[in-house]
Formats: sequence, structure tokens, C-alpha cells
Amino acid sequence: MTPPPTIAERRPELVTRELPRQRAAWTEAATSADHKAVAKLYLGTSLTFLAIAAILFALTRLQLIVPDSTIIVPEVFNRLNTAANATFVIFAAIPFVLGLIGYIVPLQIGARGTALPRLGQVSYWLYAAGAFVFYASFLYTVPEVALSPLPPLSDDFFSPSNAVDAWIAGVGLAVLGFVCFAVNLVATLNSLRAPGMAWRRAPVLAWAARAIGYTLLVIGPAMLAALAMLTVDRQFDGVFFNPGQGGEPLVFMHLSWIFFAGCHAILIVAACAVISEIVPTFSRKPLFSHTAVTGSLVAIAALGVLAWMQNMYAEPVPDGFAFFAMAAAVFMLVPVGLLFFVWTATMWNGAIAAKAPIGLSIAAAIALVLGLGGQLATAVIPVGLQLEHTAAGHQDTVMVMVGFTLAAFAALHYWLPKISGRTVSEGPAKAASALILGGSLLFALTMFFAGVDGQPVDVFRYYEDDGVSTLNLFASIGAFAVTIGVLVELANLARSHTSGREVGHDPWGGSTLEWFALSPPPAHNFDAVPDVRSAEPLRDIRDAIAAREAAYVPPAPPPPEPRPPSFAEPEPNPPGEQPAPVGDPDPDAKPPVS
Amino acid sequence: MRPPTFFPSKLGRALAVAALALGVLATPAMAGIAPEEANSANAESIRTAYWVMLIVVVMIGLVLLGALLAAFRRFRDGGAPERPRQLTAGRGVAAKATAGLSVVAAAIFVFGVAMTGGARSVEADENAEAIDIRAVGMQWLWRYEYPVQESGASPGIATVFSYQDLVVPADTTVNIDLTSVDVLHRWFVPALGGQLTAVPGETSEMSFRAEEEGVFEGRSTEFSGTSYPAMRTRVRVVSQAAYDQYLEDLEADLAAGRQAVAPEAPAAEEDQGA
Repeated sequence: MTPPPTIAERRPELVTRELPRQRAAWTEAATSADHKAVAKLYLGTSLTFLAIAAILFALTRLQLIVPDSTIIVPEVFNRLNTAANATFVIFAAIPFVLGLIGYIVPLQIGARGTALPRLGQVSYWLYAAGAFVFYASFLYTVPEVALSPLPPLSDDFFSPSNAVDAWIAGVGLAVLGFVCFAVNLVATLNSLRAPGMAWRRAPVLAWAARAIGYTLLVIGPAMLAALAMLTVDRQFDGVFFNPGQGGEPLVFMHLSWIFFAGCHAILIVAACAVISEIVPTFSRKPLFSHTAVTGSLVAIAALGVLAWMQNMYAEPVPDGFAFFAMAAAVFMLVPVGLLFFVWTATMWNGAIAAKAPIGLSIAAAIALVLGLGGQLATAVIPVGLQLEHTAAGHQDTVMVMVGFTLAAFAALHYWLPKISGRTVSEGPAKAASALILGGSLLFALTMFFAGVDGQPVDVFRYYEDDGVSTLNLFASIGAFAVTIGVLVELANLARSHTSGREVGHDPWGGSTLEWFALSPPPAHNFDAVPDVRSAEPLRDIRDAIAAREAAYVPPAPPPPEPRPPSFAEPEPNPPGEQPAPVGDPDPDAKPPVS
Repeated sequence: MRPPTFFPSKLGRALAVAALALGVLATPAMAGIAPEEANSANAESIRTAYWVMLIVVVMIGLVLLGALLAAFRRFRDGGAPERPRQLTAGRGVAAKATAGLSVVAAAIFVFGVAMTGGARSVEADENAEAIDIRAVGMQWLWRYEYPVQESGASPGIATVFSYQDLVVPADTTVNIDLTSVDVLHRWFVPALGGQLTAVPGETSEMSFRAEEEGVFEGRSTEFSGTSYPAMRTRVRVVSQAAYDQYLEDLEADLAAGRQAVAPEAPAAEEDQGA
């Protein structure tokens, strides 16, 4: 029995009515609805904001080097802290995920574009407008809300200035953009997969994109609803969150935590998906269990959102709801443990090529174990009652964010050769990952100790008597190392655009379809889309070519055979005569005698 | 193929150095990890849960990460063939792993449920009377209202209250009714129990029974505006006699103060803290 063909038959797939007009490169980049152009805007903007978030984080730690610090006045510290939180989550991390899957996933599923390209483009500009509105508040008043503008503190009585409005409008526009992106993503995944790519054969990152898309469709509207109600409360004397008039401030907290818990889950899913893509490629083995990994990613997204109340154990929430949140949070151990098991089994007996992507992935896995382990501990209600909202309970979030950032850098080292056609230098990446991981371990450990001693999060000051001065000093040193590491690596990534080595379409020996396209891919991605017969279509193609080469027996020199007569050609020369010269005629040759 | 030693000698040396460093740093590290000593049954069960989960999480993390790092170290650039055996999971391997992990998760969940009741409140003690304290959060201090009614004061209006410092007797159940007059605040005195949020317009409840006399620091852990780090509190646990004396003195002080400020003013106008 012969296996079915893995290289597609000819299908008429390209239709054009006119040649596209030539436009300036920057006009093309800014106005094209092509998923690659939009994703590049997402990636560039989000990495810029990652640098800004790292600098803001370092500034907040500058204040906390010494006790009783007056380097930065309290209002300014609170504003920097608010801006750092919003910048990292809303304007850097989530858009980075969208940019990565927006570029790679259509290629991975063998699509020539997205289902709703204009919606994808609109999503970027909504996000950019949100970032602009948020940062425009630096011209008047930056909000002081810590992570989320919880009423009553954020209502018009306690925050009368327009600062909170800037938060609402900026984050609201960006989240609206994310929801638009998710609609396009889900439509693309459901309708444009290559022939033969059933869901069980869809690549890991495509599964992650599916989980992330549906998660955004749930959590995005929740946040938009909360922000809309808060706007009504602030601008039109609404009563949604006003306890004096029958409102309930905790409703906002629930909706806000649904959103931020979902964001947290999205970042974990994205980081784990990137690691799950990189580990098999660099171990030169297939993923140990494709089903276990894709199932785990979906489970993390679902459980992560359902566990939103694990951040609200201290609020007057009935025990049943708290137990529900604890169950969802604790059972997150199952998918996370499965992922680690599959990564280990995939590397076992492999031939690991120790390149930057897998090195950064391992660093990310270390950070994720610490972060998710801490999350598991604080998910248990008594531990949460003690540690949450202190600097100790905050460190699990910090380590997950560090793990995400390292995984994002791993993803860029892995896929930038596809996006720009050039490799990224490995030396600075090594230094940067050591700085980020070492710095964050120092920061997390010392701040964990400080939190156990009672230091809360978001404070602009601690006192000599609190006994946390040394810890905070070391935490600040760690934080500066993280910031320097992030900036070094971002500079390294930027440099690769001009100084990287040019590579072909498949520098790593990947097994999914994005490596089938050219680097960088043309506007239509693929000239021919292969038929997919497994989760690793490119490996099938390579195997088919290898089998064909192995089976190839060089034929014996063919016996001189009279060519069949043809109308287009003159009669063959009679035997014994010189054939007519083809191509460059020899000037010395004599013309044939007729 | 590299000889299949699990720990190469370099790693062995590194581990020895790490163990030595751990031994040297163990004392300060333990001081850092250990939370403030518990002074109530609630805090005691919180401490138990904390230590148990710390050990469980460290063990889970060591297993997951140790296996991953061992695999990475052992098989990287090991001169293995360019195309190793393409092994994938057989039927049921993932299912078995899922089942094993689920058992661990379920055990942690049951443990969490079992520990929750004791962490939130204490069982009512029929023999002794409980004290009901109303704690009101406001930007950026706490006001504690004691269950004493001055003769002639209108009911429902506390006349004996203190700011910042709460004084309670030892070995007596104290029920705290927490509320707020402005924004969200969180009451957290680690030695006496877990955190509890004060929500304006609502009452959150907790109870504790302090065992030893002493002074215990607490802080708000909910961002409540510009001066949020200043929002601290202190609980002074004293003997029953000292508590009674304190209330008496406080009542007299407040009455004298009221008399001095506005001789005819009703007690209700004392509410000037917000």
C-alpha cells in the first residue's frame, strides 16, 4: 500500500485581476491589511512598550532602594507604578502574543491570509490609539490606580481628575482591539486551515491561538462592560458601583479579575506553546504527545479564567465560591505538570542542538516553575489569606511574567529568521537571559522574604523599623539586572535586522508549515499549499523527498532514440550530419553544408 | 554516544558547592521564610497550611524542573545521531500522568478545604463572652468602636472608640465587623489571622482569639490612594483587667474631650475622622 501523497496536486489557487500598484515601503507597511504587515506593527509596538515597562519598573525600584525614601514623591511613584502595570500587561505582553500568533499561525495552518483582514488591521490601530490615549495622560495627569481602577477609589468623588478617564479610554480601546483581533483569529483558524489539517493535526501554536482567541472573546467583553459601567458612574452619576445607592463595588473587582486572570492565563499559554514548539525542533524528535500538549494549553486557559476569584479570598466572598476558585487554581497543576512531563520526554534520547531558542526556553521553564508553583501555593485559601496582596504573594505573578518574557525572546530567536530572513546573534542573548533570570531570582526571593515580613505591594515607602531595608536593596539590584537584560536583548533583536546572517526558508529543520514558506514569506505566503497528513507536515515532505531519493536509481545512459517528429521543429537531421548549434554560436564554426 | 552518567562530574561539583552555600545561608533563609509567629488559632492554621504548601510546592517544583534540566544536560550535543529514535507517547501514557497529577491536585484541594474553616474564624466558646468590635477603614487609618454604650447615648452610635490602635483582652473571642466609609481597605494583622477586605456599604466578618499578650503590627494591603503605605494599625493584646481599665479611661477621656469642645453637642457629631 502506498502512503497518500503529501505534496499537493495542482489546484487553481491564485486569481488576480490587475497588478497591484507599487507604493512606498512604509505606506505599504502601515496600510496593508496583510496579516504579516499587521503583525509586524504589533510586534514592533509591543517590544517598544516592553522596553518602556522595563524602565518604569526600574524607576519604581529606584525609590525603594532605601527606607523612608523621598527620591520620588508619592503621587509620582503611584503613577509610575500604574503606568508600569498597564504598559506591561496591556501594551506589551498581550499585543506581543497577538503579533506573534498573527504572523506565525496563518503560516502554520497553511493559509494565504486571514479571514477578516481589515478587522485585523483595525485591531492594531485600536490598540495603538489606546496606547496613545494612555500615554497622552503624561501631558496632564497619569492615573494612580495600581493594577486596576477599582471603585470607589476610581469614581469621580475620590478621583475627580481626568487621569482615571485616560486609563479607561486607553485600556478600553486596546481591549476592544484585542477582541477584534480575536474574532479574526478564530474565524481564520476555523475556516482557512490547509486541506487535511484536522484539529488533531493543527500545530501547537495554532491550538494556543485558538485557546487565546476564545479566552479573549470571554474576558475582553467583561472588561469592556466594567469600563463602560465605570464611565457611566463617573460621567453621568451612575450607581453601578456606588454602595450608597444600591451599587456594588465588588462587581467591578470581579470583572476586572476575570480580565486580568485571563490575561495571566493567556501569557502562560503563549509561553508554554512557544516552549512546546521549540523543544521538539531542537531535540530533533516529534513532540512526545501532541494531544497532551494541546489539551493542556486549552485547560490552562479555561482553568486560569475560572480561577479569577483566587485573587479575592480576602473579600467577603462566600466559601463555596472561594472553594470553586481554589479547585480551578489547584487543578492547574495537572496541565502544567503534563507539559513539563512532555517536554522532558521529548528531550529524552533526543539530539539536542543547544542553540539560543532552546536555552531561552529552558530559562523560561525555570521561571515558570517558580511562578506557577507559587501560584499553586497561594491558591490554597489559608496561604492565600496570608500571602496574597503582600510582596510575597506577588512574586508568583512576577516569575510568570519573567517566564513569559524569556519565552517571548525564545520565540523571537526561533521565528525572526522567518519574519526578517535573518538570524539573531546568540552571545548577547546568553548574557541577557542570565541577567534576566538571575536578577529576577534575586528580586523574587528577597521580595518574597520582605512580603513574609509584611511588606504589601504597590507601596512607595517602607520604614527603617520594618526590617526589610537590606531585602529591598537587593531586590532593587535584581530589578536593575532584569531591566538591563531586557534592554540588551531588545537591542540584540533590533540589531539582527541589519547585521543578522541571512538564512533560507528552514534554518532549524522545523516540522510545521511556516517553514515551508520563503523567509520572509511573500504576500500570498505559499505558491502551493501541501496536503496535510499529520501534525508535522514538513517532516512528511522531507521524509517523502528522502524516500524518493533513496529509491532513485540513476538510469543507464539512454540509447540514442529517434525523437518523434513534431510540427514545430524542423525534420531531424539525417544521421551523420552535425546538429544545428544551439545558443551561443561558435564564431569559428563553419555553417553546415546544405 | 556519551556514557550514560546521570550527573556529570561538573554538575556533581556544582551541586556540592550549592549544598555548601545552602548550609551557610540556611539560617538567614529560614529567618526570611518564616512568617511572624502566630498568636491565635486562625494564624496557627494559616502557618500550618503555609509550611505544608511550601514543602509540597518545592517538592513538585524539584521533580518537574529536575527532570527537565537533567534531560537537557544529558542529551545536549551528546554526539547522538542527527535523527534520534522518533519516540512518541503510547496509548494511555498521558492519561496515566493526568491521573497521577489529578490525585495530587485533589489532595491539595481537600487539604485547602480542611484548613479554610480554621483560618477564617474560631469556634464559638459557650463559656466565655465574645467581644464585638466594629472596625471602620478610612483613608488612611482605622477606627475601632468598642461595645460600650454610654448612658443616655442614642443606640447604634458608638461612644467609645479609638483610632489606629485596637486594644483587646487575651484569651477572649473577638468578632471584628469590618466596613469602610470611603474606598476599599484591607485589614491584615499577620499574628492574629488572615486578610479581610473592608467594603463600603457592607460588613465583612472575622473572629480570632489572641493567646498571648503583646503588640502586633498590621497593615492595609489594598491600594487605597496616595498615602496608602501609611495605613497601618496595631493590636495591643492585654489582660482582661487592663482591658476594662483601658475602656474606662477611654470613655472618660472622650467624655472630657466632648465636654471641652462642645458642652451641649450630641455624641453623634464625634464622627470627624473621615
